[in-house]
Amino acid sequence: MKKIFAAALAAVSVVGLAGCAPADSDGDFVVYVGRSETLIQPLIDQYVAESGIEVQVRYAGSAELAAQILEEGDNSPADVFFAQDAGALGAVSKAGFLRELDAELLNLIAPEYRAADGTWMGASGRVRVFNYNTDQVSEAELPSSVLDLAGPEWRGRIGIAPTNSSFQAFVTALAKVEGEDVAAEWLSAMKENGVIYEKNSAILEAVESGQVDAGLINHYYWYAKGNEVGFENLNSEIAAFESQDVGNLRNVAGVGIVSEDPRAKDFVEFLLSETAQQYFVNETSEYPLIDGVEPMAGLTPLDQIPAPEFDLNDLEALEETLQLIRAAGLI
Amino acid sequence: MQKPPVLTVVLGVFAALLAIVPLGYLVLRLAEGIEAASAELARPRTFELLSNTVLLVVSVSLTALVVGVIQAWFVVRTNLSYPGFYAVVATVPLAIPSYVLALGYVSIFPWFSGFWASWLVLTMATAPYVFLAVSAALLRVDIAAEEVGRSLGLSRLQVFLKITWPQVRTSATAAVLLVSLYVLSEFGAIALLRFDTFTRAIYNAYRSSFDRTAAASLALVLVALTLVIVLLERRYRGDYLMQRPANPRRLKQDLGKLQTPVTLLLALFGLLGAGLPMAALLNWTMIGSSATDLGKLFAATLSSAGIALLAAIVVSIFALAVSIWVVLHKNKLGSFIEGLLWSNHALPAIVVGLALVFFGANVTPWIYQSIWLLMIAYLILFLPNGLAAMSTPLAQVPKGLTEVSQSLGQSYRKSLTKVILPIASPGLIAAAALVMLTVLKELPATLLLRPTGVETLATRLWSATEELAYAQAAPFALVLVIIAGLPALALNASVRKTYAEVNEE
Repeated sequence: MKKIFAAALAAVSVVGLAGCAPADSDGDFVVYVGRSETLIQPLIDQYVAESGIEVQVRYAGSAELAAQILEEGDNSPADVFFAQDAGALGAVSKAGFLRELDAELLNLIAPEYRAADGTWMGASGRVRVFNYNTDQVSEAELPSSVLDLAGPEWRGRIGIAPTNSSFQAFVTALAKVEGEDVAAEWLSAMKENGVIYEKNSAILEAVESGQVDAGLINHYYWYAKGNEVGFENLNSEIAAFESQDVGNLRNVAGVGIVSEDPRAKDFVEFLLSETAQQYFVNETSEYPLIDGVEPMAGLTPLDQIPAPEFDLNDLEALEETLQLIRAAGLI
Repeated sequence: MQKPPVLTVVLGVFAALLAIVPLGYLVLRLAEGIEAASAELARPRTFELLSNTVLLVVSVSLTALVVGVIQAWFVVRTNLSYPGFYAVVATVPLAIPSYVLALGYVSIFPWFSGFWASWLVLTMATAPYVFLAVSAALLRVDIAAEEVGRSLGLSRLQVFLKITWPQVRTSATAAVLLVSLYVLSEFGAIALLRFDTFTRAIYNAYRSSFDRTAAASLALVLVALTLVIVLLERRYRGDYLMQRPANPRRLKQDLGKLQTPVTLLLALFGLLGAGLPMAALLNWTMIGSSATDLGKLFAATLSSAGIALLAAIVVSIFALAVSIWVVLHKNKLGSFIEGLLWSNHALPAIVVGLALVFFGANVTPWIYQSIWLLMIAYLILFLPNGLAAMSTPLAQVPKGLTEVSQSLGQSYRKSLTKVILPIASPGLIAAAALVMLTVLKELPATLLLRPTGVETLATRLWSATEELAYAQAAPFALVLVIIAGLPALALNASVRKTYAEVNEE
């Protein structure tokens, strides 16, 4: 028996060394990140190196993390919520779990990219695009509206990611702009026309390999791939829908503070710093949101994207959207 | 008989409470949201999931039966060349977690998804269970009866169907039910192959609805399905201990011209069940070797190993306590507790994970997102494995030894720690090792419950596949097979027994 307990102690210390000792709910600084680890971890590492603050990061889908914060309520270990879209932040804010940010922070970015009540703010901008394999979709075939994708000619050809919050935000916008019935109808057409993936990056891979003809993704996945392998080697292109189409939705990845931990504000400040904003430009091809940092050359400026005027605060209706998507049987 | 040591009773009762409380909480929670739950269950989607799940369970069970019986028959009952080699080929998929098998396939054929893909992968992953059970039964078949049948003019097929099969049927049925349970609770492979059954739907409902009652209600339907099969399994179990005939003789049929086609068929099974997917993963690992993040791989291996070691110790302590109780001091409470713990052996891991997320976040926030909540999940899931593996070596210690030791003036406790446990220890250590290897491969509960910032081989593999990054996922898959799968295969008692018996003559 003694031996067993000695072994148990040894194992506990091994595990401790491996960095999985039980999280001290007060001591650790915990960030819930609803974005891809591949894109965000290098930035976090940079923050840790600069600030000396240890960060515990929990990666998952933004909607999942939003639901998780609601489930955890006041017990939530999260100090900061860094979400892939404004809708997940809006939903958590609506439930009263986000604290108001300082005005000096909020004023770093334009009002259309932050919460009306100051509980969350954008960190980087992105645009929804139509990604298509150039061998399988001709330019003449390009849809003028995202609603056209419901047509029978697109059966089984469109990659979508219904569990991904950027897709969910687009559906929220669709329901707000075109009405819930139109959105529901479009989603049920996607049950036939769509091929379901987990993430934007998976859709892009599938379009590139020709496994699916086209897909709905955020713009920067395509640029990141192009920067990685060379744009001339890509098998796919991206296109915008006609002007004012919801398919061109402009959105932000954003951040909100959940706890009273003073490190939370410091972390948010970092995300809005020139260093981080430049990281979004160089490494992820996203749009910077602060003045003085320019988007990547060749990218249509964010305010010239032919997107509909849409209040990002309205994306908070994430819960209703999830119900719509589930009702269509896509999840 | 002596009373069981207090510590074993305390640990046993504690384990039983841990095993029922989270699920009890799930039911309670569902009762609160009964309206939302019934709305969820009434969705057409639920019926779609039900029919998908049943379709997959039934079809995989049938084909796994066919594949396993074919492999067993040719290896045991014919003059196949190198039967030992083909016994290894038939069992080697046991070393590969089914999501790794699935990953191997999708990495070669990106279009590989949906029902047929899941059917193929799970058939290959589960056929070894049928092979092991049926070959064991075939080795014990009464040859004399077959000879009589032949002499009375029955054809070979008639002999098989009328005389051999009835002697094998019980083992085969038990194995098929085991296969059905495996398919019901399978999560990783099915999610990777994008086929919607209950497990995948539970995970998705959990991730993408604010009202988590939806996930809970789907989980309970899955538990109900599982119960049906467990009850069936109970009825058919019990034939595992069939003795070999006193004078083991095997009638080996001459394959003649069929030698080559049969060899090709068995090789094809081996290729589908292990060769092809493993070659693909090896290939991806080499292609992507320059980009492989060795630091990440090493860190994931280390935390996988640390977590699995800790889990093995936790599970072993409880398994040993309960085994001492029920093997050496059988009483009513002990049997009840054992039965209760056993009833969890088929519980899908995704359900346990879900129940513990709810329970942890609301009732025990102090262990929420800590390693201990994960340990509780492993305890619930793998204590039955531990019990099965630990009670045998304990039961094999000759009873007289305890009496001798006590008659020489040793206290009971001393006899236990100085005599019984040391004698049983090789078996106990093997049991603990098996638990550790099983934990290494666990995916769904780990995914839901791992502490913030902790990544294991399985979760790393999972997140890479979510991005279709096969070159990234492949090394994690290979390491899993090497450190968990192959050792588990080598330690598996029925695999070793089968190898030995097939090679006997």
